[in-house]
Amino acid sequence: MNELSEFFGRRIPAKAAIPQLGAGMLAVQPVGQRYRCQRCQQWLAPTDRLPNGAWYCRQCLEMGRLTSQTKLYTIPEPNRFAIPAEPMLTWTGTLSDNQQRAADAVLHLVQRRQNQLLWAVTGAGKTEIVYPALAWALARGWRVAWVSPRVDVCLELAPRIQQAFRTTSQCLLYGEQSIPYAYSQLTVCTTHQLLRFERAFDWIIVDEVDAFPLATSPLLQGAITRAEKTTGQHLYLTATPGEALQRQIRRHTVATTYLPLRYHGFLLPRLRVRLAWRWREALAKHRLPPALIRRLRAYRQAGQRFLLFVPHVRDLTTVMAALRQADICGGVGVHAADEQRTAKVQALREQRVPFLVTTTILERGVTFPNIAVVILGGDDGVFSTAALVQIAGRAGRSADFPKGEVTCYVQSQTRTVRQAQRMIDQLNRQGKQRGGRWP
Amino acid sequence: MTNCVWCQQAFQPRVTLRDILTWRPLPVPPLCTRCQDKFTPITAQHCPACGRQQETIAVCHDCERWGTAALRNRALFRYDAGMKAYMQQYKFQGDYALRKALQAPLQQALEQENYDVLVPIPIDQQTWLTRGFNQVTGWLRGQPYQQALVVRATHKDQPQSAKTRAQRLLTPQPFQLDPRIASDLVNQRVLLLDDVYTTGRTLRHAATQIYLGGAKAVTSLTLAR
Ligand SMILES: [Zn+2]
Ligand SMILES: [Zn+2]
Ligand SMILES: [Zn+2]
Repeated sequence: MNELSEFFGRRIPAKAAIPQLGAGMLAVQPVGQRYRCQRCQQWLAPTDRLPNGAWYCRQCLEMGRLTSQTKLYTIPEPNRFAIPAEPMLTWTGTLSDNQQRAADAVLHLVQRRQNQLLWAVTGAGKTEIVYPALAWALARGWRVAWVSPRVDVCLELAPRIQQAFRTTSQCLLYGEQSIPYAYSQLTVCTTHQLLRFERAFDWIIVDEVDAFPLATSPLLQGAITRAEKTTGQHLYLTATPGEALQRQIRRHTVATTYLPLRYHGFLLPRLRVRLAWRWREALAKHRLPPALIRRLRAYRQAGQRFLLFVPHVRDLTTVMAALRQADICGGVGVHAADEQRTAKVQALREQRVPFLVTTTILERGVTFPNIAVVILGGDDGVFSTAALVQIAGRAGRSADFPKGEVTCYVQSQTRTVRQAQRMIDQLNRQGKQRGGRWP
Repeated sequence: MTNCVWCQQAFQPRVTLRDILTWRPLPVPPLCTRCQDKFTPITAQHCPACGRQQETIAVCHDCERWGTAALRNRALFRYDAGMKAYMQQYKFQGDYALRKALQAPLQQALEQENYDVLVPIPIDQQTWLTRGFNQVTGWLRGQPYQQALVVRATHKDQPQSAKTRAQRLLTPQPFQLDPRIASDLVNQRVLLLDDVYTTGRTLRHAATQIYLGGAKAVTSLTLAR
């Protein structure tokens, strides 16, 4: 591809002058009395000014600073892709009957150019459910983006999609990567990266649409809208739709495909709640609930790997120390800013460590074949209903180990915890109607 | 409530009893405590020559190697992961707003220094065009200074941060005196101001030129070491 392809469907600064790009537009422009960034569409503060007189945007600074002296260039998306004659889908797996029905529904809606939502429980195999529709879209020469607010999700997804669509040009984009951008038919990226695109995609698949920070960020929601062609459409994927999305589902304002059963046909592990009197005060004195200790010891003796979720980063060291004190050793702590996060997750997967103590950062996007899940302080505010359902959804995902234990220690039964239990039970009731059974 | 200039989270500034009793507008702190804690102040146990944090108060090994080319430097914070993250965003990403984060500690430090003329280390023309500000003068809040040094026009060079220690030590003189300001240096005690003391090469080049201008003493202050 020539150097111009970098500008197809994007709005980015040019490193050198290229005559074919035309005049371009100023990256930061005056609108009335204020200045506005043309990449992230946020307003500048009156103080966001440099001594050389230029205005600069702080909101999208980490993507490279834009100032009122920067110019952005774009070339309308030409969909210049080579479409092979053989089938696009090189995935050799099979879908269960329930998955196939959902896949047909998603394909049908794409063909009718409709925006849609796929609500499938954790472990339903929602990625594979999208494959037939994606194959159809790619065969038509559509440019497609598969995006997620979570970089972990993108990193896990990219190699799978690469394998499933081997003949399709693909690129993976996220914050700290070093691989340069390449014009591709299929882009896997974080929602943040969409800020560099404009009217590029015929179809955008938004994975984990309810995940932080997308759900609360108008900036990122705007990025999706602008990256989509005016004739384009999108598919939201979620296991735990937020309240706004649930309202839309009830009112039938979004076309929804619903799959309440895991791919292996077993029901979701229930969220067991255990009272732990004043766990927070005890933790301040470096003590863990005795029942929790007993459970974790039993897991260690049985060789059962587990994830222990704690509310905050600052709790990690205390909990790790208390575990050592209780002779529960060998695990490691993980949090969002942890540079070794991926390596630690991999270590647990390969059974090199027996357990991870983690914040909500591992609530989604990670899969371990046989894992027990324990939550300390499920009544803490950081655990939303969706977070608890997602965390519980880490257990029992493998067909070989469909039975997973999920135990949540709380000072008292809060509304959030009860709602999470209710959501899981409700999904299981519907799962049963589709032939789901207890492991 | 106010917003932290670095992480942009809202926070409640700590108010002490003395703040209330002094009856004047409270200074709004630029950083939340979490971001403030990313900086590690250098304690009294530091090298008296370069200001590096260490176990003793003896001249450190690196300074001994400079021998007679002595320069007394004082540094405020350690150049650790937190400071590097700050410099990355402020200097390299060009987030000018972050200058506010270190203005107060710098002001305090300047008040404790004995000098007549403050000379910030300059940036070259290309950096001025791309970055749009001098990261050193960004930390000043109206304290008077003289831009007595300019980067030589012929000085085309990769940034200091991209070099090894050995390469840095071989860097040729990058500065020259601004003739319009040079006379203001005669018989003055000059304090050089820079962001990071790494090998001391840059500051010594600057000091050499300042002495040529007739200064009677040159010391330096850096934000980090
Ligand atoms: Zn912006
Ligand atoms: Zn902060
Ligand atoms: Zn020293």
